Amino acid sequence: MSKSIAEKKHWLISQTELESWLDGIANARTLIAPRQVSGIMRFCQVEKSDEIAWHGKTQKTKLASRPVMSIKEIFFPPTERMFKIKKNRQEIHLEETYPDWETIVFGVRPCDARGVKLLDALFLDTNPVDSFFARRRGNTTLIGLACKDLGPTCFCTSVGGTPNDSHDMDIMLYEKDGDYVVEAVTEKGRFLILSGEWKETDLGSRQFNDKEHFPVPEKGRWPEHFNDEYWSRISERCLSCRACAYVCPTCRCFSVRDEIIKPGEFERIRCWDSCAGENYRRVAGGHKPRAEKSERLRNRFFCKFYYYPEQYGLGTSSACTGCGRCIDVCPAGVDITEVLMDLEKSA
Amino acid sequence: MSYEPRIIAFLCTWCSYTGADTAGIARIKSPANIRAIRVPCSGRVSPELVMSAFNQGADGVLVLGCHIGECHYDTGNHRAAKRLPILRSLLAFTGLEPERLRLDWVSASEGERFSKIAIEFTEAVRSLGPIHWRVDPDERKIVCKSLTAVQEILPYPETNCAAKTDAIRQKARELLVNGQVGCVIGYETSQRGRTRPTFVYSPEETDRLVWNPDCSNNLTTYLPAKLQLKKGKEPPKPIAVVVKPCDSKSINVMLAENHFQRNQVHALGVACEGIRDSEGNMQVRCVNCQEAVPIVCDTLISGDTSSFIPRLSSYAKEEISELHNATPAERMEFWLGQFDHCIRCYACRQACPMCNCLVCLYESDNSTFIGLGIGLNEKRTFHLGRAYHLAGRCVGCNECERACPMGIPIGLLNQKLAEEIEAAFDHHAGLTVSPSPIVTILSGEYKEG
Repeated sequence: MSKSIAEKKHWLISQTELESWLDGIANARTLIAPRQVSGIMRFCQVEKSDEIAWHGKTQKTKLASRPVMSIKEIFFPPTERMFKIKKNRQEIHLEETYPDWETIVFGVRPCDARGVKLLDALFLDTNPVDSFFARRRGNTTLIGLACKDLGPTCFCTSVGGTPNDSHDMDIMLYEKDGDYVVEAVTEKGRFLILSGEWKETDLGSRQFNDKEHFPVPEKGRWPEHFNDEYWSRISERCLSCRACAYVCPTCRCFSVRDEIIKPGEFERIRCWDSCAGENYRRVAGGHKPRAEKSERLRNRFFCKFYYYPEQYGLGTSSACTGCGRCIDVCPAGVDITEVLMDLEKSA
Repeated sequence: MSYEPRIIAFLCTWCSYTGADTAGIARIKSPANIRAIRVPCSGRVSPELVMSAFNQGADGVLVLGCHIGECHYDTGNHRAAKRLPILRSLLAFTGLEPERLRLDWVSASEGERFSKIAIEFTEAVRSLGPIHWRVDPDERKIVCKSLTAVQEILPYPETNCAAKTDAIRQKARELLVNGQVGCVIGYETSQRGRTRPTFVYSPEETDRLVWNPDCSNNLTTYLPAKLQLKKGKEPPKPIAVVVKPCDSKSINVMLAENHFQRNQVHALGVACEGIRDSEGNMQVRCVNCQEAVPIVCDTLISGDTSSFIPRLSSYAKEEISELHNATPAERMEFWLGQFDHCIRCYACRQACPMCNCLVCLYESDNSTFIGLGIGLNEKRTFHLGRAYHLAGRCVGCNECERACPMGIPIGLLNQKLAEEIEAAFDHHAGLTVSPSPIVTILSGEYKEG
């Protein structure tokens, strides 16, 4: 997907054109887009483009103007069946259950796309390749939508992201005076574009309103904070729920278990898990290496900014995309940006 | 082939199982639809067992025990008598036909009675037709519906919180200087301007404490862990905690359950005018609130209570009666749509002061009541089980609903069960130091039906 992109083009389309384009996609394939369902905005399947929670068209959501959950759940669903086991007297059949439908995701924000890219490091770029993630990744086209403003809890520009970053998308859309500039980023994306019908244009300026950046401690400096008293202080209010991990675009822990579907039929499933849970690290014999909640909360931050980047070679980049969802959902007011600023100050 | 219902019967080994045997020995006909599961006592039949039977495709569940007064363990069946009707109304509220769950008494000699009940129940279930409780994740498409009962939006009145903030700081400083408490749990404002829990250990830090209309968290959640006795360590010093009237009731429930002693807690009770939600309106629980002054209170931070607005509407009641008037299928549709959003992050459980089991039943590895999966069946069992475990204990602080990132109206389930408990046992959680009536024996307060 490199050479032909050199001749990539841009098109200008109106809201009506965009909607009819999406209608066409939804007719032929599975279209997933932000949708308002009983008070919250979530990435859901839509059958018509008017079901999409268009920014400005719908009422203000409970949180920021991004869906509560990231697009992680499309590639790495909360529960995934890995295979089915059928037992009939002496015979045991294993049945593969790979996902194989083609999905188009519309309205992806750059922070989310970057999150999926970061997950690639674990699921695709490190052996063994995760075949479930790989299939979903291969079958999915991402249509991005650039942000013009940073939401109240967003901080992508502080952790190396940009609200109009098109790198990890297949197609990117930029709002421009009520219309949209469409950019084909990959071959896969170009395939969806109705180049014959749309007006070509230039990319033009891609401005966004930035806000104040804050310094993030460099990766190499994290180990020196490991034994800081700070962690037990900051974690006191933590309730040890998993909301932050489950809404995070890059938290990816899971647990595997065999469960009964009905007599004679079993499945092996994997489902989300999180280091915030007390039993996450329990070993045989009942010992819990991270029994204190301060150790568990510390692990979350270390995993984002030290362990994961170190283990999977992310270079200077961290595993946080700055979407700010964890700040929005935390029932006790734990704030990742505050932790980063405090650490930077304490050094 | 005609429809044959599958019925799971939990039979107490001492009376009902023997009663079924008696029926067999006497050659009295009983329907073959019944699969008997022998349990030590009808009191052993937990809601998880019943739900797990329904989850696995049972069309009806029959629980039979010894007659009241004849229990082999004296009072085991008292618990069954109290719990199963509550469970039945909870399941009915979420879309099960209540006739599919029945509790009755059969003694060892009553073979005929066993057969009669078995036939009656089988016919009742047969007439209802096949059950639609279990959700097949591969087949079902969820449609999310909202209720039409509109929440009354009450703009939050202007209040002056400076006096209360000062009073809290002053009292906290005094308690810490005198060494009466080791820690004060209160609220602070974060750099981002959000109000959140804070823990103050020294008099100098007390200026962090604030009171404002966003002090939503129920701080008593932190008490059991903070006051826990640790091996080889000094017993922890008492803790002062800032409580609203609703929160203060949870102290009573925890005292009744022996999580700590009364003298270990100093309640800084704040006379409350209501708390705002994220959109700046009065929170739902506050619209229904009847108490301006905390029930458990060592120091009253009174301020001005004149702007307290008692019981303006009954939002939850309207929603509950709307669900009540719906058909079971509609109720099921509504709740499945809501539970579909759940991500099993356990924020509701963790925020709840009453959810304080060391290992949650729904999370323990060897729990076969519920899978680990984040699927609809598991999520529903978790929420219903949690609501059931809170019956008679939930003080209605509604923190579970506020903590939920997905906006599931969990509070409705708790509210519904609180109403049931009130009707059956005239019990209000947390008004006095008394345990939930469904964990105690019968004392004539229970009304059949």
